[in-house]
Amino acid sequence: MVIGSKTMAFVEEEALLGQDSEEENSELSDDELQEAFAAGLLKPGMNVLVDKPKKLVNNVEGLKQCLADFRKDLPWVERLDLTNLPAANIISQAEEKASAPAAGELDADDDFQREMFFYRQAQATILEAMPLLNRHSIATKRPEDYFAEMAKSDQHMQKIRKKLISKQMIMERSEKAKKLREQRKFGKKVQIEVIQKRQQEKKAMMSAVKKYQKGMTDKLEFLEGDQKMNKESSQGSKKAVNKKGPSAKRKYKDQKFGFGGKKSGKKWNTKESYNDVSGFRAKIAHGKGGKKGKGGKQNKRPGKSVRKKMKNRS
Amino acid sequence: MDQQPSADREKLPGRSISGKWTNKERVLIFSSRGINFRTRHLMQDLRTMMPHAKADTKMDRKDKLFVINEVCEIKNCNKCLYFEAKKKQDLYMWISNSPHGPSAKFLVQNIHTLAELKLTGNCLKGSRPLLSFDPKFDKEPHYALLKELFIQTFSTPRYHPKSQPFVDHVFTFTIADNRIWFRNYQIIEEDGSLVEIGPRFVLNLMKIFQGSFGGPTLYENPDFRSPNMHRREMRLAAAAKVREKQMVKEMQKGKKTSAKEDLESDVTADVFLTPAEEKPADIQTEAPEPKVVKKKQKAFKRQRMQMARR
Repeated sequence: MVIGSKTMAFVEEEALLGQDSEEENSELSDDELQEAFAAGLLKPGMNVLVDKPKKLVNNVEGLKQCLADFRKDLPWVERLDLTNLPAANIISQAEEKASAPAAGELDADDDFQREMFFYRQAQATILEAMPLLNRHSIATKRPEDYFAEMAKSDQHMQKIRKKLISKQMIMERSEKAKKLREQRKFGKKVQIEVIQKRQQEKKAMMSAVKKYQKGMTDKLEFLEGDQKMNKESSQGSKKAVNKKGPSAKRKYKDQKFGFGGKKSGKKWNTKESYNDVSGFRAKIAHGKGGKKGKGGKQNKRPGKSVRKKMKNRS
Repeated sequence: MDQQPSADREKLPGRSISGKWTNKERVLIFSSRGINFRTRHLMQDLRTMMPHAKADTKMDRKDKLFVINEVCEIKNCNKCLYFEAKKKQDLYMWISNSPHGPSAKFLVQNIHTLAELKLTGNCLKGSRPLLSFDPKFDKEPHYALLKELFIQTFSTPRYHPKSQPFVDHVFTFTIADNRIWFRNYQIIEEDGSLVEIGPRFVLNLMKIFQGSFGGPTLYENPDFRSPNMHRREMRLAAAAKVREKQMVKEMQKGKKTSAKEDLESDVTADVFLTPAEEKPADIQTEAPEPKVVKKKQKAFKRQRMQMARR
């Protein structure tokens, strides 16, 4: 692609206009640019001046030299310094959490993790330093009667203590309130249950009484029913309470549709079962079979005339 | 001046006075003008924690930094911690070895002082600290230099007259997120239970110089962004967001109000048009007669029923 010198100049002017007017660079003159292009240093097209990336000083040699000059070889007792990794994190080990900071970077934004890291680092230092200090007979515990000025005044420590106590009080109070609220809810539940139970018992009693009145049952067991129930429950009977087993309806359904299967809708008639007339007995359907040989007189109520006779008789 | 107290100290049990103070380290801790209360408290806390520290009056910022070397010489100190406050917002800390040695400049952040009620520990005033360093300090040469500087500055010399012989607190220096985190813990039990005393701060390294408060730069921190730039970036980001929202709004407005294009008129549309026949205009001169509305005389239902019955 041949570019005439004029086009080149136009392009360079544009680039010039885009820059600070203060910049004085000898390379910006047209002639020199043309020469550079001819020499093959510049490529055709829009050329933009780019700043060289700022080079930051890292004078490793200088640093090492400086350190060597500056270093003071003091015995450890004077310096009391230790370099160590943090102690093992008991909590994370117990929970078997992935201890990411153990190998990699410490996340400075996760406050708790960061502070725990610092804490464990200090702990590790102490654990390592204690035997060393003992060897050099430097005490770490001061005797009980050694009174000296502390970094924080006693007044300040009193304030701190008060604050801690007040915090604790607040927490306790809030916990108490929570518990009360829970209890109230629970109490209400229990109350409702008790009321419902009573209502059911009353209903049962009334229906039993009515049955007796109407003559359907001539047993007065319902009066003692409660006592019996109590006795049974007190004995801790784990026998089946309903001795009659499943009701007739249930038995029929089990027989017809079998056991198990999907939760709902399995013991209903479907098209197929409805159309299935294999269970049809004509004799029984047309009433020709008799009532199982006169076994149906158990709870049958006598007719009006018979009742009158009974009444007159008694 | 120190006769009486030292005599008392000899009588106290557990205080072994059999030692001469040889490690003559003295640290000068002072600040420039224009610091706020937090910085002032931090300085005071550091002076409390370090019995080998000396105080000085505030320095005018107009003076050049190498004046500090002379101040140190006058006070007979060989280390210096100088706090510089700029714009009443940013705090810079210089730590240097006074006559010839290296110095470093940091940006200090996240300052919490001794007076905070959440820092519940306490220690003897003037007790010697244990220093705990992150292993990362040994990995890079600039960190190694800083470690040496910290050790010499922060460790209390043994048998210093104002020091207590017990070791009951520990300073930790940790490197995280390219910053140096400083914490101070009280040792409660020898098995390692700690409580934080304070103060605590974060140092962000800017530069290390070969000389004290001057000299050739040995190291520059590539990750350091000056607080001004940081604030500027935040402002620009916020401004960019607002501008973007405005642009979107304008675009939407433009879309709504732009005139809808008229479909080009079809030339062949009136090919099949046949003009309608003209009807003669019918002009009525007389008003039309009012319509006669025949009203149905329907009787009421009851009347109708009566009638039906009759």
